[in-house]
Amino acid sequence: MSRLYAIGFLALAAVLVAVPLASDNEYELRLFMLFLIYAIIAVGLNVLIGLAGLVSLGQAGLFALGSYTGAITTTRLGFDMVGAGLTAAIVAGLFGALLAYPTVRVRGVYLAVVTIAFGLIVENVAIEWQSLTGGTTGITSIPSPNVFGLRLSGYAYYGVLAVSLFLLVAAAHNLKGSRYGRGLLAVAQSETAARALGLDPTALRTLAFVIASVTAGVAGTYYAFLNSYISPDIFTFTDSIRFLLMVILGGAASTFGPVIGAYILTYLPEYLQEFAVWQKFAYGALLLVVMFVLPRGIMGSLGALRSRLRPAARAIAATDGIDARTTLAREASEQQAELVARDLTVRFGGLTALSEASLRVKPGEVHALIGPNGAGKSTFINTISGFYRPTAGAFELDGIQLTGMASHEIARAGLARTFQNTELFGEMTVLENVMIGGQQRLRYGVLASILRTPAMRREEAHCRQAAIGLLAFVGLEGYAYEEARFLPFGLQRRLEIARALAANPRLLLLDEPAAGLTTQEIDDLEAMIRRVADLGISVLLIEHHVELIMAVADTVTVLDYGQVIASDTPAAVQADPRVIEAYFGTSGATHAPAEVPA
Amino acid sequence: MSTVAQYVLSGLAIGGIYALVALGFHIMWSAARAVNFAHGDTLMIGGLLAAYLVASGWPLALACALAILVGGLFGFVLERLAVRPFAHQPNSIGWMLTTIAVGIMVESYATIETQGYALPLPSPGVAGSVQILGAGLYPQELAIPVLALAAMLGLQALQRHTLIGRAMQAVAHNKNAAALMGINVDLVVAFSFSLASLLGAAAGVLIAPVVQASATMGLLPGLKGFAVAIMGGITSAPGVVITGLAYGVIEKFVEGYVSTAAREIVGFSLMIVVLLAFPQGLFGKREVAKV
Repeated sequence: MSRLYAIGFLALAAVLVAVPLASDNEYELRLFMLFLIYAIIAVGLNVLIGLAGLVSLGQAGLFALGSYTGAITTTRLGFDMVGAGLTAAIVAGLFGALLAYPTVRVRGVYLAVVTIAFGLIVENVAIEWQSLTGGTTGITSIPSPNVFGLRLSGYAYYGVLAVSLFLLVAAAHNLKGSRYGRGLLAVAQSETAARALGLDPTALRTLAFVIASVTAGVAGTYYAFLNSYISPDIFTFTDSIRFLLMVILGGAASTFGPVIGAYILTYLPEYLQEFAVWQKFAYGALLLVVMFVLPRGIMGSLGALRSRLRPAARAIAATDGIDARTTLAREASEQQAELVARDLTVRFGGLTALSEASLRVKPGEVHALIGPNGAGKSTFINTISGFYRPTAGAFELDGIQLTGMASHEIARAGLARTFQNTELFGEMTVLENVMIGGQQRLRYGVLASILRTPAMRREEAHCRQAAIGLLAFVGLEGYAYEEARFLPFGLQRRLEIARALAANPRLLLLDEPAAGLTTQEIDDLEAMIRRVADLGISVLLIEHHVELIMAVADTVTVLDYGQVIASDTPAAVQADPRVIEAYFGTSGATHAPAEVPA
Repeated sequence: MSTVAQYVLSGLAIGGIYALVALGFHIMWSAARAVNFAHGDTLMIGGLLAAYLVASGWPLALACALAILVGGLFGFVLERLAVRPFAHQPNSIGWMLTTIAVGIMVESYATIETQGYALPLPSPGVAGSVQILGAGLYPQELAIPVLALAAMLGLQALQRHTLIGRAMQAVAHNKNAAALMGINVDLVVAFSFSLASLLGAAAGVLIAPVVQASATMGLLPGLKGFAVAIMGGITSAPGVVITGLAYGVIEKFVEGYVSTAAREIVGFSLMIVVLLAFPQGLFGKREVAKV
């Protein structure tokens, strides 16, 4: 696969070198330079669409913002191209962060609306703020491109654009293969699971939008210098749609797709002159057709075709990995985790799902939480993993207060969980799923990702080896390159455990891990829980399967109607009359029904 | 005094339009956790079609009724063809882009048909103006906020007292549980999109006599209606209607005392600020993610 990418980059470089040599006239070269600028926008936008799964309909606004910033700093302040470009990048990036953070925190969908509005506002401001932007006439007489006082000729400027695009494509490609790219893809597929593994969806999405904003801003400055004249009417909503279409048509999430999409959509209008008024309609129709016929775009469809013709190997050699017992081993001096929950109360409207429930998971033990359906077990686990806010009460891990923390912060504090209804990153491979579990232990930054520094590669290689070791630990090494959604259910459960372990937790929460498993699989699960406990990881197990609990649990806590009614050794709990009553009822006992969602 | 009354009353009129559009977004979101991004074009279809029919000699009432019905049909068809095929995907790119694509096509087709000109929709509501507290308004403008409130109350009555209304609430609460209880979720979603579009088209018919019908008349109300839904809390019907009315009034004041461009900037900044301070909107409830 990496050989194909190398060929792709060589081909891109060859095209970028050959075109100026082959072009007959200045118009042709100019049009190609326009394509390079559009491609820069598209490659940046692809980080947002392809990786984060979000849509911006205001790239033209950011493009305009960069263009005006560049033009104004050049004409008014006498900046050269470097200064103007940097200012534009900063301004666009700031606006990007300002737009994205409040929006993606709530719902990704909102970003589309916010960006449309932003695009309209930029257009309005450009028209109204005449003293700064020149109103409808725009800004004229932008000097020709210059760097540190040197004037660039047409070919030199072409070189700047071509090198910029080439480097950007490489940077975006590297980002995709880093923890940021994986994290973005994970958040787009299951925000819940991503949070539980310590990923901060808001931060990642904001980062993606800032990247898309900065590239659009820089492209805007390039455009101002290329055209030496800008006006509000060249940055309309239709242009935003066109940028979006470049990414979708070329293939979202692919490395070269946006460049190909930009090429097609730069040259297509040249051939569609006669369409005139129908041009906008044609963009809409093209977008619709692509969504139904080529939803993965040109490159995405080619990639899918290739993997169908030459399916990749599924398995991976366990010898490539680091033994899980090594990666998960604790320092002997390190204390084993203790979870203490005090008087946790959770109410949903008038419904009390959990009422002053207290529980203590002693260091290194396997603690089972049981109770009839609706007893509040899931509410408990969702509360201590930060998905629900407790109405009252507190909980802590080794004395660190976790109450009020967001899920991803709790996960980073050392608590990992699985889900009752498995929450895998379905379209990612089994190996990638586990590597995302190990994400929070990676330390390298955005710049290191883009440059693929040796330190970054070392960390990545270690993360990968650790993930392979964990796959071997749960017996999934034979499925490493399979997409997670194609695994049979029993194996999906094991994958969830491996993924949770990859976070190197001190406390592992298993939410009904035996549900839906065969007897044989439950036996395997039992052995696996023992092996996890032997590594010194405390386990909180929610389960219905009594035999499993009796076999592995050191302590059993019983919940009924949101209250803890017993907490003792399995044998003692089994004999407790209140527990028996809760499960089987006593004759004549009338409980007020207080069913709680499981 | 009369200036203030003027701004408040004409603000309520345009706010009523935002409220109706936002109510549509609320209905669609509740049913499908998806919306029609071409909802503004539903408004345009309603207004423009009514103006066309009246111009070709149809009686006003009949023209308006047909225009609203066609708008509703547009929502129904769009849900079926553009939203449903993508509803199961984990991210929302699919239905967003298909509805946007249809919106672009509809709007540019309307632009070509009208050649960019606006059409009047004569209505008895704009035949003469009335004076209230020194403010001059068309009766039509006074009727809009009243109708928006009526639509909200009607929706609540529908949800409380009819089978389909209760099914809508069940689907909004939990799609899977509703399906297990024998509710035809697809049908409820289709109904919700149609209902939302009827309201949107009605908003278009209501505003067309005041602003004239044109191909782009839906763009800003559609966008602001969504902004209002975000600010009010997309999960709350009264929330979005109240926010819509308030947004219209604020807009008129900014427009009157500052400028038209400032109107959009202030309105938009307001949305960002509200999102920062109230992530779930002013009246919205936090959706508890069940895991």
